Amino acid sequence: MLPRFLEGIRFADLTWAGAGPFSTKLFSDFGAEVIKIESRSRPDPVRVGGPFKDGKAGIDRSGYFASRNTRKKSLCMNMKNDESREIIFDLIRRSDVVSNNFGPGAMERLGLGYEDVKAIKPDIIYLSMPMYGEDGPLANLTGVGMTISAVSGLMWQTGYAGEAPLGPGTHFPDHAANPYHAAFAVMAALRHRRATGRGMKIDLAQVESTINCMGLSFLEYAMTGEERPRVGNRSPHHAPHGIFRCAGEDDWCAVAVTSDAQWLAFCEVVGSQALSSDRSLDTAAGRLAAVDRIEAELSKWTAALPAEDVMRRLQARGVPAGVVAHSKHLMERDAQLASRGYWQTLDHPEIGPSRFTSPPYRLDGERIELVRPPLIGEHTEAVLSGILGYSPDRIAELRTKGALE
Amino acid sequence: MTNESAVRPYSGIRVLDLTRELGSYCGRLFADLGAEVIRVEPPGGREDRRIAPVGPDGEGIPYRFLNVNKKSVVVDRRTAEGRAVFRDLVSVSQIVLYEAEPDHADALAEIASVPGMRVTTVFSYFGLTGPYAGYAGCDLVAQALGGIAWLSGEPGKPPLQLAGRQSVFVTSLYAAAATAISLWDGERTGASHMLDVSAQECIAHSLQNAIQVYDLENRISRRGGEGTRDAAESAFVCADGYVFLCAPLALTASWGGLLAWMKEEGHPGAARFIEPDWQDRALRATEPMKVEFRRIFEDFVRAKTKNELRDVALARKICMAPVSRIADLEADPQLVFRNYFGALPDGTHFPGPPYRLSEPLWRIERDAPAPGRDDAEVLGMLRAASRR
Repeated sequence: MLPRFLEGIRFADLTWAGAGPFSTKLFSDFGAEVIKIESRSRPDPVRVGGPFKDGKAGIDRSGYFASRNTRKKSLCMNMKNDESREIIFDLIRRSDVVSNNFGPGAMERLGLGYEDVKAIKPDIIYLSMPMYGEDGPLANLTGVGMTISAVSGLMWQTGYAGEAPLGPGTHFPDHAANPYHAAFAVMAALRHRRATGRGMKIDLAQVESTINCMGLSFLEYAMTGEERPRVGNRSPHHAPHGIFRCAGEDDWCAVAVTSDAQWLAFCEVVGSQALSSDRSLDTAAGRLAAVDRIEAELSKWTAALPAEDVMRRLQARGVPAGVVAHSKHLMERDAQLASRGYWQTLDHPEIGPSRFTSPPYRLDGERIELVRPPLIGEHTEAVLSGILGYSPDRIAELRTKGALE
Repeated sequence: MTNESAVRPYSGIRVLDLTRELGSYCGRLFADLGAEVIRVEPPGGREDRRIAPVGPDGEGIPYRFLNVNKKSVVVDRRTAEGRAVFRDLVSVSQIVLYEAEPDHADALAEIASVPGMRVTTVFSYFGLTGPYAGYAGCDLVAQALGGIAWLSGEPGKPPLQLAGRQSVFVTSLYAAAATAISLWDGERTGASHMLDVSAQECIAHSLQNAIQVYDLENRISRRGGEGTRDAAESAFVCADGYVFLCAPLALTASWGGLLAWMKEEGHPGAARFIEPDWQDRALRATEPMKVEFRRIFEDFVRAKTKNELRDVALARKICMAPVSRIADLEADPQLVFRNYFGALPDGTHFPGPPYRLSEPLWRIERDAPAPGRDDAEVLGMLRAASRR
């Protein structure tokens, strides 16, 4: 289905890079008109960062950009040009939401701070999502997604036991915690405006958002005064609980036994007499005490089997187990994702047919159909004439003056 | 809090919370903004109350975090009377959050049979359809089959799970936003909606650019950023812990700021890092360069504390920050300045809002409920509704 759930909602979207556009993509995928305001002279970093179709760079060839900007429109202008602010103001007057993820003060320097915008559109919903918030002693600290992992405790707690902290291998907070907290807040603001007539400002400090996703660790510390050491893939509560090497070059399977019933099934599948006959392992506490021995037995078993066999055999008896999937596995081998129609192929004038992840749910039994991302400036004329009502002469004049790119 | 708004974004919206794990944070997001979120539990309470670790009072700490602001009503759905109450609760709710219950295999059909506009959001590890639909899941397995574990850890060691049960948060966040949008549509058009949310798909949707790297360039992204991540992008040992530095060539200000600082302090690394091999992006992502960078940089910061390094980062625009322990968070000067941390009604320290709204609409009002704490209120509401 091509949902029109948010028809009539318009975004003047100044977000760029990862977290901001991933948030506004949700709205365009559900039918809001998200107008991405961008620039050729200072392009969105993910447009120039790749990966690119066939490894060949090009401003319309980035897969990373494509994946964050489906069903959006692109309005391309030189933000530093004197005429640009008036165009953006005209667009804001006809918009419901203004979104950005610049650092503190950047929007104010463009004359697009909340107070500036509210003066021309009093009921605007204004989303800012700087890393550490808009004000305060560290507001101007330079950061990337991994910085957020570092200062939120996620990096500290993620790593092998007895070794240094590593953190997630990606800029993880950029790809769910922050864009989706932001999206939830924007929907709340739209409802609130509908009920009260009032707009609002949303200040999403990405560090504060991410700390909520570390809430279980924080509350445990607040209640017990104890901070857990890094445990690798183990669990303080269950054993076995880990990722085990399987037959193959770099193939692994995750296995977790989280109940006594699962333990009995596990012992039968693994076929270890030494484990199944040991009554001290009938309880979680007993298994935790013997975790090294259990893992050694399990590793012997998995090492001789393909990872998918380990998963299937254990899952057949209700024991949680899963192949450690990489991108190729997900796209070419995972039977579940294929069966649920998770991958969509969209054609694109520069990239050609390429694959996209669907929104991660089925809605009323169907997939949400995606629409390809815009070429840079693809909708400039359409937005200026169709939404803002500019005449062809005015548009030509703006081009001459260098306001449009 | 003063000046509390009577109208909140989810005022008047009732949510039945039948989640046990993946969906619990979703319900909280609605509750924090004014929805009446009601946990419907069997006698004795639902098992998610006992998920470890447990606090000094014997109650699960995850339960306490994920169920703040919610209500609890105990309904014995094994009885005819209980089933009638359950149907009545469904009929007065605009949102139902559901995770499969072993004792009530037909619950989803039962919910669907109750008339009225409603968004039903179903949480599971792999989705309601497909060959893995019946698979057993847990956070670790979702991280494995979703693809994030593969990308984390170091070459030569096993792939690595992320801490803090991240699959729970990722799944709940995707689901909450989609539920909110579906409700918006339902209120406008009267259409009911059903969301079948898969934790595996949520994780696979959050893999940075790994999917596109394979699709467009036929490369498999690997843990440790093997061959891609720069030598100057990692956590490094300093005087009192670890500091995270991100100073690849692409971040000109950060790399330049680091070199200038090392030079000013007279560290020999400054001269080494201007040699030609350090200007080569591909070389900088190789193991020998990573080892050399770590040796030089850790020598440089050996006597510097996390907080000193943070101050330098701020002054010199270097992308560098402390690797904070959980115990450090409440002393973070930015979070202190912004008065971020709050408390539960019983005084336990608690994270503040994930976003600041310019009106005071987000608040923590109630501790996670004891089983049936709100029986009288909720059942009274049902009686009043039936009289209407």
